[in-house]
Amino acid sequence: MTAPLLSIQDIGVRFGGIVALDGINIDVEPGAIHAIIGPNGAGKSTLINVVTGIYTAGQGSVTFAGQTLNRLKPHDICRLGIARTFQNTELFGEMTALENVMIGAHRSGGYGPFVAATHGFGFAAAESRMRAEAMDLLELVGIAEDAAMLAGALPFGKQRRLELARALATRPRMLLLDEPAAGLRAAEIEALNNILLDLRARRGLTILLIDHVMALVLKISDRVTVLNFGRKIAEGLPAEVRANPDVIKAYLGERAANAIAS
Amino acid sequence: MTGKTLLFAVTGIGLFFALPHMLADFQLFQVCLIAVTALIALGLTVVTGLAGQVSLAQAAFVGIGGYGAAILATRWGVPLWAGIPLSGIVAAMAGFVLGQVTLRVSGHYLALATMAVTAIVQLAFIHMDDITGGAAGMPVPSFEIGGRALTSGGELYYVIVPTTAVLFLIVGNIIRSRFGRAFAATRQSEIAVAAMGVDVLRYKALAFAGSAFLGAVGGGLLAPLASYLDPMQFGIPQSIYYMAIAVVGGLRSPAGAIIGAVVFILIPEFLQAFQSYLGLVFALLLLGFIVLWPNGLSGLIFRRPGARWWGGAAR
Repeated sequence: MTAPLLSIQDIGVRFGGIVALDGINIDVEPGAIHAIIGPNGAGKSTLINVVTGIYTAGQGSVTFAGQTLNRLKPHDICRLGIARTFQNTELFGEMTALENVMIGAHRSGGYGPFVAATHGFGFAAAESRMRAEAMDLLELVGIAEDAAMLAGALPFGKQRRLELARALATRPRMLLLDEPAAGLRAAEIEALNNILLDLRARRGLTILLIDHVMALVLKISDRVTVLNFGRKIAEGLPAEVRANPDVIKAYLGERAANAIAS
Repeated sequence: MTGKTLLFAVTGIGLFFALPHMLADFQLFQVCLIAVTALIALGLTVVTGLAGQVSLAQAAFVGIGGYGAAILATRWGVPLWAGIPLSGIVAAMAGFVLGQVTLRVSGHYLALATMAVTAIVQLAFIHMDDITGGAAGMPVPSFEIGGRALTSGGELYYVIVPTTAVLFLIVGNIIRSRFGRAFAATRQSEIAVAAMGVDVLRYKALAFAGSAFLGAVGGGLLAPLASYLDPMQFGIPQSIYYMAIAVVGGLRSPAGAIIGAVVFILIPEFLQAFQSYLGLVFALLLLGFIVLWPNGLSGLIFRRPGARWWGGAAR
């Protein structure tokens, strides 16, 4: 067994008197597509926000490629190679789709403040390289034709894809996707699945995605963790998780679980 | 350089050398006044329009630039041409420190905090009598360069206008670079831009530093033009006045700063008879633009956003 790329150990988060996460342990293997599922309010988004440094956990630790993330700020965590998307999309609405992706490529821009102030030597070349790179990513997620559209004016499905392209522009080793399929139509979910599988195959990306739509995640995930009320209630291969009575109970309620069991 | 920018540059330089032959000295004085006012407003284009951080500290930085350059000259004999950029750098550092408060406060509270800074700095000007001249103010030594003293608007024109032009070009260039995009992205979603690896606090502080530098250089150039520093010129009403200029001109583009400065400097000329109502006119302008045309005059003139950098690429 290889060392996990991302290791979440005994993470606990409280908001006032509410326990959002209670001693969560999850290991994500390098190159895996790992899903975290659970009903609304299970603590999935909280977990992603802890990993990316938006929330501070009251207990436990997160390590990525051997480095502890606990005290790091969101931008430091991005620089280590973790990119994310947001549940309700957090695009730069007044910028074009292309510019949004170019923000993702900001850190690899390759010129400094002096060249920026003078538009001096190397500026045009560096800018057109950034633009080409951003264009390639828009192509990859299938919205190249919308490059010049304002991000805020794109339909929701395309905004989700744009967020994915923007996250990829930071050149991550790992992607965290917060409900990537929410609000998408069946055909769009199919396309998203193919993109994710392709990214893993061609770029060796590790993907951690959270969702409450089981149908999506069970199809492409290597491993699934189920959260409910801030606790881990099951973990394993998709087929195992699907058959787990606790999971059925969490999703469908006690009576339904009994009905299926009997 | 494309043909268009070449034409633009040639026209600009031609106009620069032609104006002194076409305008009277008083009019050149007004051109200078427009230029420094535009420079001060450009600081607000950067920090508020681009980076989205409301600043009512601009009058304080203008004061630091003016007093700094004048004190350096009278106390230590530093010529204004060196004292002005030095004061600008000091103000930029102060702006960077002020920018750190954005870690804790934003929006209305940030506006109040920066307003407090203006009040405190003005009190310092009034009460540090021995170096600032206190409430009575202090005279500004003349701008000397190469053994020549530049005193009239017509003479200072050759310093003020090129300095302003160069700073506008630099700001315009930065806006159209990866750094400008990072500033604009910070305004639109701090949480997302941080997830792209951008250090949000650092960028906000840098925006404050840049606005402070522009304000202080503007103030430093304004000092020899006005020839006297009165602490009442650097209070909260002036901070709001500069904000009004930037808003009416259009906060989102460098052109807005110029347009706003032209409007606010020239209106009093055309309203000589209404001098006592000027404050009301400015207030109505500000209110009207905030409610009806939040993108300001430049937003009205250059309809398509982002058509040109001077028209609004600072989205």
